[in-house]
Amino acid sequence: MQKKSGGGGRGKGAARGADKAQGQRRGLFRRRKVCKFCADKIDDINYKDVKLLQPFVPERAKVLPRRISGTCAMHQRKLRTAIMRARVLALLPYTAE
Amino acid sequence: MSTRTYELVYVVSPETSDEQVTALHDQVQSIVGRYNGTIEKTENWGRRKLAYEIGHHKEGTYVLEVILGTGELMKELDRRLKVLDEVIRHLVVRVDEEQRVVERHRNERQATMRRRRVARGLPPDIQEGETPRSSTDDRDDDRFGEMGGV
Repeated sequence: MQKKSGGGGRGKGAARGADKAQGQRRGLFRRRKVCKFCADKIDDINYKDVKLLQPFVPERAKVLPRRISGTCAMHQRKLRTAIMRARVLALLPYTAE
Repeated sequence: MSTRTYELVYVVSPETSDEQVTALHDQVQSIVGRYNGTIEKTENWGRRKLAYEIGHHKEGTYVLEVILGTGELMKELDRRLKVLDEVIRHLVVRVDEEQRVVERHRNERQATMRRRRVARGLPPDIQEGETPRSSTDDRDDDRFGEMGGV
């Protein structure tokens, strides 16, 4: 398989860029983030599955951004709808009180 | 009229007794029956703590109904549930399309796995006692390209 250079800011290309910048960060090692749903092969992001969604709504009950969780665009979108539905049913909070 | 699959979840206020919850379910069933729909599955999740207060309630009884029916039916159900005082929250979601997509993904994944296993000279299905290989050492898996510096 040929190397694909560039192509998508969040895949391998982004990780390689981080390697280059490592000198400036003085050896701060960053693990490459992988989308949890792709890695675990979770097809169905369901609003009823509170256990699955909970890690993506930390303390302030905001949706965890992609840049932190490493979730891919497709799954982040599905995650968002699931969280919004779960919030309607008070399975997840809208805000922390 | 096309039949679709919907999921209806409603939250009943904690003051209502179990009998009232069953009565509510019967009520839903009768409406579904009137519109020639069917209830595929009913699930009572029991009493749960709410993530936030709804009308000074801190808990609620959750009931899930999977309903086969038309849009008109769900419209009517939605209207009815809005009126009822003991139902503090409800949600109707159409699920058939989503389910179809999920199923297709699952089937595709299995087909790919089988094809790769056959290409490697293994039986198509995972045998018992076989240790799963990590996706990174799967040479036929082109999603990862090369693993640089790991």
